[in-house]
Amino acid sequence: MGIIGEWLRRLGFLLRRRAMEDDLRREMEAHRAMMADPRGFGNTLRLRDEARDAWGWRWLETLAQDTRFAWRTLRRSPGFTLTAIITLAFGIGVNIGMLRVVNGLLLRPLYERPEQILEVYARSTTPDGGARGLSYPNYLDLREGTQTVFADLAASSFLFVGVDAGDGPRRAMALAVTANYFEVLGGRLALGRPFVPSEVRPGADARLAIISHRLWQQRGADPTIIGRPVRINGDPFTVVGVAAEGFTGTSIPGPEVWLPLGADDRLSARDSHELAVIGRVRADVPVENVGPALATSARRLEQAFPDANGGFTLTASPPSRLLFMPGSGSAITALLAILLMVMPAIVLLVACLNLADLLLARGHIRRQELAIRSSLGGGRWRITRQLLTEGMLLAFAGAAAGTVLSSWATDAVMASIRPVLPVALSLPALDIDWRVIAGTVGFSMAASLVFGAWPAWSLTSRAVVSDLKRHIGEEGRQPGGIRIGKALVVCQVALSLLLLATGGLFLMSAISAASAQPGFDLDGGVLAEVDASLAGYGETRGRQLQLALVDRLRAVPGVEAASIGSSFPFNGFGDSRLVAPASGADAQSRSVDAVFAVVGRDYARVLGLPLLTGRDFSDAEMLPGSAERVAIVDDALAQRLGVGTNAVGQLIQFLDEEASDAKQSLRVIGVVPTINHSLGNARPFPHVYVPLGQRYESAMTLHIRTSGTVAERTMLGTVGRVIRDVDPRAPVLRLTTWRDHLDTGIEVLMFRTGARVFSAFGVIALLLAVIGVYGVKSYVVSRRTREFGIRIATGAQPRALLWQVLREGSRTTAIGIGIGLLLAVGAGQFLQGMLYGVRSVEPLVLAGAPLILFAASLLASFIPAVRATRVDPTVALRSE
Amino acid sequence: MPRDTGLPPGTLMMVVLRVLSRQPLHGYAIAQTIRQLSGDELSVEEGSLYPALQKLLIKGWVKGSWRESDSGRQVREYRITASGRRQLEEEVAEYRRMSSAIDVLLKEA
Repeated sequence: MGIIGEWLRRLGFLLRRRAMEDDLRREMEAHRAMMADPRGFGNTLRLRDEARDAWGWRWLETLAQDTRFAWRTLRRSPGFTLTAIITLAFGIGVNIGMLRVVNGLLLRPLYERPEQILEVYARSTTPDGGARGLSYPNYLDLREGTQTVFADLAASSFLFVGVDAGDGPRRAMALAVTANYFEVLGGRLALGRPFVPSEVRPGADARLAIISHRLWQQRGADPTIIGRPVRINGDPFTVVGVAAEGFTGTSIPGPEVWLPLGADDRLSARDSHELAVIGRVRADVPVENVGPALATSARRLEQAFPDANGGFTLTASPPSRLLFMPGSGSAITALLAILLMVMPAIVLLVACLNLADLLLARGHIRRQELAIRSSLGGGRWRITRQLLTEGMLLAFAGAAAGTVLSSWATDAVMASIRPVLPVALSLPALDIDWRVIAGTVGFSMAASLVFGAWPAWSLTSRAVVSDLKRHIGEEGRQPGGIRIGKALVVCQVALSLLLLATGGLFLMSAISAASAQPGFDLDGGVLAEVDASLAGYGETRGRQLQLALVDRLRAVPGVEAASIGSSFPFNGFGDSRLVAPASGADAQSRSVDAVFAVVGRDYARVLGLPLLTGRDFSDAEMLPGSAERVAIVDDALAQRLGVGTNAVGQLIQFLDEEASDAKQSLRVIGVVPTINHSLGNARPFPHVYVPLGQRYESAMTLHIRTSGTVAERTMLGTVGRVIRDVDPRAPVLRLTTWRDHLDTGIEVLMFRTGARVFSAFGVIALLLAVIGVYGVKSYVVSRRTREFGIRIATGAQPRALLWQVLREGSRTTAIGIGIGLLLAVGAGQFLQGMLYGVRSVEPLVLAGAPLILFAASLLASFIPAVRATRVDPTVALRSE
Repeated sequence: MPRDTGLPPGTLMMVVLRVLSRQPLHGYAIAQTIRQLSGDELSVEEGSLYPALQKLLIKGWVKGSWRESDSGRQVREYRITASGRRQLEEEVAEYRRMSSAIDVLLKEA
């Protein structure tokens, strides 16, 4: 009570300070009048000030005073203010933008009280044993048996489905969940209700769906959507709920739809260990107790069902945050977050150095003002504080502008990523929450300290007082000030060059990624991705559709060849197999990892590849149940397996197949040339192809090569029509030319996004360098008006003056460039893994970046230099 | 600005509270009373008195109100509050404890 009462009184004094001051004045006057000798009463003003200090608001008054003064000062020099704000807007803007991305992807909690949520999974008790999920019966038993540690356990199963939002089916991520899934995570629904237990039970076959907020918005955010149907895999499902905005479950990206767990048909078996189980630890139970409790449950399950559960124990850990990065626990996400924030931090540092330079230059002009203030009794700390307040005001203005800038930038980046993602998925909302706000304030404060503190302190040094005695025009060249100014310029040039060179590396990597050669002729190729399962077709109907499509396309005029395959190079996703000779003792050690594709007849011909030896698949092999299992390999695989030119006729096997029939050996019937499958690999990856009849994949890509008489674009329309003719329900996921596929594919896109982001950093650094050089040069020239005036009056050539101004400081720039080059080489080494087709020491970048920087700074000094030559001697001399 | 009040440091607030505990007084009267009661030994400068009074107001140990003095002048009179009396008791007890401890120390040494 005491302390609160005191603060309330304090606040009252602040709010009624006029009246309070009046009281003080009146009572002091009365006091004075009562004294025998009124002169004995001290300085009334000063006494009042001291009495007021007791209120404890002195700092606020000072701040208000400083802010008002700073505001007036800044308004008086709009050019400087605008330059500073733009500089800071870039510096702080890129940081806010990156922070929003990092926050959305890595930091923001995805669900309520995340520390209580654990993922429960089974781990083999053998030393290097793998992990697996839980079966539904095990999940039920575990939920029953761990009530002492878990408040509740929820189970889910991940699947791809075809969602038709009215514009044809698209492939989308879905999660089949138990009824309590949303409740366990504390995920609210924007509309509707969660599932109820009777709907998720195995065999319930409830055609219900909860859709993501994003999907709902895509469908026009219809408030009456509850109870309406959405087509999933061709069947109508009734929408019962819409997830809250930004809810993605336990990981990013999140699913587009949630279905009742009963929709998964592998549920009832005790040995189908497919479910991901998450649990919320009871609030009154320490997390350490979970491990032992799970181990006990695991032993009980193993004793009761040794066949299904033998050799496995149960364990728990926080769920992976990034879906495509398993094991992305808190330590890894933190590291990633730091890495992503380093580059923008350097941009901010460059901006600050720039501004420090500018403030220092400006400070020299203000020396007289500062000298007067300090001789009138302004303490050093007091004046420094005032200058810092000025910096803070600039920083917050810059942050405000930067926030606007960053919204555009992040929206643009996200918008460019979305359309090319291979599946529709929910990315988190990159909202501005308290973390981003705290970060923004932090960036601004840090920035204003970095660029403001040092100039402020150095400008208020003792020596300044002597400035008052000197004439303004004469000081200009104080050795200390200039030297430290040079150190600033060196740092700034070096860091700018680092950013520019890094941007250059990423740009080159994007260019070489875009021009990467897949190893076959791209011209005249068209592809169409069709997933029969998305229309609700099973294997039999799916096979019929695939064969019918290829047959019809072959008959289209202008089509030279048509085939079908389970993948297309540069797709981003690839199936692979461990291939080994079928016989021989050490199969494991001689195995080769190879890209695996199910293909139709003429596959090599469509790609324009010759058969090196052997034969192509036959029509009979396109149908299931053919006599012998066969495969075609590429020459890279033949070499790696050590069979070379004698590959045809050899028997091979797939080591990592689980089903027993797929473990049978295959006879190699042909060898084709190797093609590139992915940008990430230094050398071509081996391939193994099996015929359509041997394995069913519902998602297939039709490959069509035109004969050259028909344009690719025309063929696109024809192919679309043919597919609709064959089956109007056939879900076409993509229809594009091979070249477009490569140019807009996910892999090229990733390099492009990197290039866009990092070259933007580079361009900003360049811009900052130009602004900085221009500002400082302008200042230097304006300081030396008198000198130039005298020299022109005594007959100096304008050209000589121009050169002198341009040349000055070039040594400083050269030192900065030298250090920057070293940094750039270091960065190149560090970033090697993220670059494609670029050496870490890339001559083009290491020569080009300094040249650009140098040219830019020369350009920036040109206008001030010309101004120096135009000084009118009479005006210059009179002005003194 | 060193101002010699003749008061040991930190005791001004206690002395002011003590004076006010007898009767409400205005600023000038407080200074006069302190001087008289101490037999001209202690004097309080305005420069210390008014900040101290402001602090006492903030702490809620005294309340101020304007009234007309006997000589017809408007003066702000300070009145000790209940929490001010408690504070005075505490400070006096503390002061007694300290000074007797120092006494003992001086005698022993």
